[in-house]
Amino acid sequence: MQNRPTGFGNPWLQLGLSVVCVLVSELLLKRGATDVAEPDSAFSWTGINGLESPLVWWAILLIIASFISWLYVLRYVPLTVAYPLSRVVDILVPLGCWIFLGELISTMRWCGIVLVVIGLALVAKPVARIEERL
Amino acid sequence: MSALAFFFIVISLASFVVAQLILKRAMEFSRSNGLRNARFVSRAAIGVALMTVSFFLTLGLLQRFDLSYLYPFQGLSVIFITLLAAVALKENLSVRLALGALLITAGIILVSIS
Repeated sequence: MQNRPTGFGNPWLQLGLSVVCVLVSELLLKRGATDVAEPDSAFSWTGINGLESPLVWWAILLIIASFISWLYVLRYVPLTVAYPLSRVVDILVPLGCWIFLGELISTMRWCGIVLVVIGLALVAKPVARIEERL
Repeated sequence: MSALAFFFIVISLASFVVAQLILKRAMEFSRSNGLRNARFVSRAAIGVALMTVSFFLTLGLLQRFDLSYLYPFQGLSVIFITLLAAVALKENLSVRLALGALLITAGIILVSIS
């Protein structure tokens, strides 16, 4: 990992980009899936009828983008570090649901969000050490 | 939640976890061997195929449940992927990393049941 790229090729920047793409795509998927929902049809368990929604297609584009930056991250960062960090999205998605989809966040849900933040902090701290070692 | 929904949630989670491990292997392999070789392409293709299965099953589930309800099951992937990366890929797993992964999972589950 001596030749780790900097600038746009920085794996941590790419991890951030990947997270943002996932966040937006999840919100689009929920909107899109709700728009075309057919809960009574057995076929809709496959999710394929979701493709009727243009929002789902936008989400797919973002997922592909996030996937490419994620593969790039995997090239340079151990999975035990990269994957837990990528779950910062688990805080951002409920916050996004609250802000953009009008879903409610209860006290308990806020507590869960706090736990995730503490967990992320624990995982993120050794990153500085990894950076030194690499 | 019906048994059918549970079944699809489990399949979706399992294919996602296995896909991540395979893709990590593929990308590490590509660092020394480049992107244009059959072993990399076949591993990446299996990874992408498993991610696709997971994606469509999730899309089916999203038509029936709230995103904030379904999302936490993906949270379990943190524990599975961190542990399996340590076991199958022989990555270093410090107590701190394991604890972090546990807290993240606990937090995500709390978000889901609230």
